Amino acid sequence: MKVNVKILAITALLVASLMLAPSLQARSGGINNVDSGCTCHSGSPSSDVSPFMTLGNGSALPSEYNPGETYTFSFGFTGGPGSEFIAERQNTGGFNLVATSGTLTILDDSTQMIAGQLTHTTTGNDQMNWSVDWTAPSSGSANFQLTVNSVDGDASPGDGDHWAQSQFVMGAPGGVGETTTSSADGITVLFSAILLVSLMLLISVAYVFYRANPESFSWSAFAPWISEWLTSTDHKKVGTLYFVAGLFYFLVGGVIALMIRIQLSVPGNDFLTQDQYNQFFTLHGTVMIFLAAMPLINGFANWIVPLQIGARDLAFPRINAMAFWLNPAGSILILCGVFSGTGADVGWTGYQPITSWVSSHPGTTFWLAGQLMLVASSTLAGINFITTICAMRTPSMGWMQMPLFTWSVFVSVMCLFISIPAFGIGLIEAFLDRTIATAFFNTSAGGDPLLWSHLFWYFGHPEVYVVIIPAFGIVSEVLATSSRRSIFGYKSMVYAMAGIGFVSFIVYGHHMLTSGMAPWLRFVMMLTTMAVAVPTGIKIFNWLATMHGGSLVYRTHTLWSLGFLVTFTLGGISGMFFPSIAMDIHLHETYFVVAHFHYVLVGGTVFGLFAAIYYWYPKMTGKMMDERLGLLHFLIAFISYNGLFWPMHKLGLMGMTRRHHTYFIQANEYSDVVGTLPPEVASWNSFITINAFIFGLSTLIMVTNMVMTLVKGKKAPADPWGGWSFEWLVSSPPPTPSFDDLPTLIDVNEEHGSEKKENWLTRLMVPNDPDEEGMN
Amino acid sequence: MSTSLTEERIRQIINEEMKDYGVRKRAPPSASDDDHGDDHHYGHHGNGWGPHDWEHGAPHNSWAPIIMSFGITIFLFGFASTFVMNDDLNDTVFNGNYLPIVLVGFAVIISGLLVWWRQDMSFDGHFEPKSAGAPFQNIDIRKVGMWIFLMSEMMVFSSLFTTYIRYRMGTESCQAILDNHATYSNGLPFSPGDACWVPASYFIAGSHSESWTLVLFPDTLVPGAINTFALIVSSFTVVLALKTANRTDLDHEERSRKIRNYLGATLILATLFLVLKLIEWFVGFNIGPFYAPSLLDDGYTIHNEMYHFAGAGHGGEYIDVNLRLSAATFYVATGTHGAHVFGGIIGLVYMTYKAHKGGYSPTNAVSIEYFGIYWHFVDLVWVLVFPAFYLY
Ligand code: HEM
Ligand SMILES: [Cu+2]
Repeated sequence: MKVNVKILAITALLVASLMLAPSLQARSGGINNVDSGCTCHSGSPSSDVSPFMTLGNGSALPSEYNPGETYTFSFGFTGGPGSEFIAERQNTGGFNLVATSGTLTILDDSTQMIAGQLTHTTTGNDQMNWSVDWTAPSSGSANFQLTVNSVDGDASPGDGDHWAQSQFVMGAPGGVGETTTSSADGITVLFSAILLVSLMLLISVAYVFYRANPESFSWSAFAPWISEWLTSTDHKKVGTLYFVAGLFYFLVGGVIALMIRIQLSVPGNDFLTQDQYNQFFTLHGTVMIFLAAMPLINGFANWIVPLQIGARDLAFPRINAMAFWLNPAGSILILCGVFSGTGADVGWTGYQPITSWVSSHPGTTFWLAGQLMLVASSTLAGINFITTICAMRTPSMGWMQMPLFTWSVFVSVMCLFISIPAFGIGLIEAFLDRTIATAFFNTSAGGDPLLWSHLFWYFGHPEVYVVIIPAFGIVSEVLATSSRRSIFGYKSMVYAMAGIGFVSFIVYGHHMLTSGMAPWLRFVMMLTTMAVAVPTGIKIFNWLATMHGGSLVYRTHTLWSLGFLVTFTLGGISGMFFPSIAMDIHLHETYFVVAHFHYVLVGGTVFGLFAAIYYWYPKMTGKMMDERLGLLHFLIAFISYNGLFWPMHKLGLMGMTRRHHTYFIQANEYSDVVGTLPPEVASWNSFITINAFIFGLSTLIMVTNMVMTLVKGKKAPADPWGGWSFEWLVSSPPPTPSFDDLPTLIDVNEEHGSEKKENWLTRLMVPNDPDEEGMN
Repeated sequence: MSTSLTEERIRQIINEEMKDYGVRKRAPPSASDDDHGDDHHYGHHGNGWGPHDWEHGAPHNSWAPIIMSFGITIFLFGFASTFVMNDDLNDTVFNGNYLPIVLVGFAVIISGLLVWWRQDMSFDGHFEPKSAGAPFQNIDIRKVGMWIFLMSEMMVFSSLFTTYIRYRMGTESCQAILDNHATYSNGLPFSPGDACWVPASYFIAGSHSESWTLVLFPDTLVPGAINTFALIVSSFTVVLALKTANRTDLDHEERSRKIRNYLGATLILATLFLVLKLIEWFVGFNIGPFYAPSLLDDGYTIHNEMYHFAGAGHGGEYIDVNLRLSAATFYVATGTHGAHVFGGIIGLVYMTYKAHKGGYSPTNAVSIEYFGIYWHFVDLVWVLVFPAFYLY
């Protein structure tokens, strides 16, 4: 209990400081009482007003800037009523300046920043020219939009004032030098990164070892222990490795996400440069899907599948270890660019032609190579799991007797296995484009960027099902156990999963509805996509029916599964908006899409994985997790999760685009600067950021829970929840080999049908049955 | 989950099937039987470096996976640093000082592979688990794995063919444009450097080939034609190796020598394939009456944006075409196939060595069979690649 209070206090403190943080962002006062001449344009621009913008010394803007250098601009206008002599003139002119990149710094009290845009103050309203400092970004061209208002000084905005607008551009420095210099120091960075990461891992690993047995801590005891972990091919050990790696990258991806959220918390922010922002959303997507979600799923699959089907290990243990080690090895390549500031910046989808183009960072090449290694990893894992499930079920277990989690892993691995080679070939083509300069996606040589989209999404859509279907399996297991009955409609569950797996191959075009793909294909994809809802709906109703006929016990994993039902269904519903082609043209690449896939990926996959952690942790470690901390985690996370992602639907509908470094809001309701958003967008974004931090930090509750219970948790019995698949037969943690004699599957009804009903119920449903304790 | 079988019946079935499940006991060929009982089977961890004692089942520890994985990282890092596309996307900038990293990476991968093989050398067919359930009842699990692996390989080549078909069908043929006097089929003029399609077969089997001294086909087709036969014959020699390994009428020494020879023949044929491929790509030949320039000399390269295309039957007329896309699809598709042959060669080196050491016998011949499945697949792919890229 003491710990709970401490954690709560720290959480509260962090939350409070986070809520205060946005207000520390520069926003000089006086927004309300400025006579803002600039936002009162009336009518069309006037030709007698001409805006200008030069360097401070009067010379023209250079065509290229030097990264990081600070320039002083002098800008303003000539002509119009502002330059006429008017008696008792009150104001002269105003302006508004938007810079797409770099940082504007105020020089005097005649100018101010409002919502990321530079405008004049009351003092500055009496001038015709102003000046400001601008610090150049590291890359990308910089565009300036200058709007000026030449006023007649009668204090009534609008009538008689003339305005005009001009664009100014400063180009990025030539790309050649940048390319070579950045890849040159990449190597130092790579090796220091490898060294640093290995060192950190080694230290934490040594600590874990030390904690296990503080007395006999010595190198001679440690060396075999660590090399056992590095070389093990045991499915449980490899599963744990997957799990640790997945959790590690889950935190890395989370930190990246929080930095993205800080950047978006207020309009016109420049916490991250545009350049960094591109890298961050790329790495966030890649890390979360390929290095967090999939390894975590693989961790559970490794652990649980052989136990559930009564196999001694996977079919190819060494290949299994190889599949794992390709993950951390590939992750180095995926991330290595970012340390030198030139990480991949093309999005997790790696759309062409930008990916094969010079303007994307050198890190993109390494990213492609790293992805290629993950493709190899998935292929090896695929061979292993498909073979294991096909060939190594205990002899008494037919296909239709396999537990649903195993079924889900089978379907998901099948989807992955058949689709990922297409991605792999696309990656090889792009990688060769970027290295030896083949022309696959080079439009000037006739290459077709859409070919990449087809290869990618042929894999990409099944991929999203690859990460959700195991969550279906987990939820099926958890809900059945928690409802203290068998799953409702087992067969329809299996067919629904298989159906989803099959259909996922013929719907992928729904990601390309706006891409200029053949119209008839769009129509086909619309219909097939909508058809996905049918098997998905079957599953959801089966889960509801399971609970309806059962009697639910509210464990932490139950709560997460219930949360999953709510959020996943919401995500599925938002998904149904997109296949309608006209609707998608409006929604594509907006925050509505971001909301959708986070509802299915976080509310679906991650909630499912959390349920699995709470459900199988006792089996994996032999220690019970703390249910109170679990409840706390669930409540905080579930609420903040919805606060985090629900408003994104609204933002998307309002027109906030995804993958953009920042956004601007309208200075007031009359403002007509193209691309600006209604003012409430800013408050929603701050709200989202606060929730993001709460959600992110709540994960630490779970990590704490895991670590603490590992050290001093209650010992877990073999079957703490009353589950009845094979993994609950063996002790917690299971011995190696898991089964001395392969278990036999028998019909529960026949076995217990003749017994008194209470006994049967008691045996299956009471969590802490002394009988089950006895099995331990 | 229900079954109509009674418990008794199930136990009976299990007892029957358990006999074939897990460790299958066979008399070892040159028995150095140790006295570890069955009860030790899974408590054993073994040596991560090899050689492995397969009496105890599959290795529980191996350094190979981690070494190979990080070797691949180093290799790919080095490769991507050594070759960098230039700013015009039409050539590669070669950074020679990164080349050592590529070699180091390659060496690390090979050393990982050696560890893997060192563990495998002692494999004598004792440990060959069989599939328990439908649909692969009683089939060796490794064989099931191999077939499943080929499923993925099928998708790899399907994707390459997708690329090929997309570009081949979607790009106008240079010949048609030339026939049309430098005009696209939609009537727009062709300007020098535009992309259009010159198939690889134009250089290999088409009108561009200098001489037809061989009655049946042009000289440039010679390497490809020999290769086709080399691969088909090598598929046959693998089968012979398997057949020989299964023969019980030979004494072990003679049988081992024969297996080695057949596997060696396969190895030589596979190497011949790659060598001829390199000759066809980069070297060309000029032997007696046979003369054919390499594809490189012909200007069929991934960087050629101004190929002087004279086509067939047009006297002096020509157009300057960008054939990079055609070249890229050709080299990458046939190159991926070549990489598979190379993978086969690496496997064959190990197997030939193992045969030389007398590692194969009727009780331990299935490894050759599994390699054969892979090799037949590679052969089959060539039978598709050859007409699609060399003849059409
Ligand atoms: C009811 C089923 C679903 C339907 C009908 C559906 C439909 C769609 C559509 C049409 C898009 C493209 C939107 C656009 O870019 O304009 C999309 C995007 C996406 N969906 Fe779904 N979806 C469903 C379920 C899922 C599931 C289960 C997941 C993953 C667990 C998922 C993950 C994603 C992701 C990651 C994207 C964004 C991809 C990107 O552009 O980066 N969806 N969905
Ligand atoms: Cu999709």
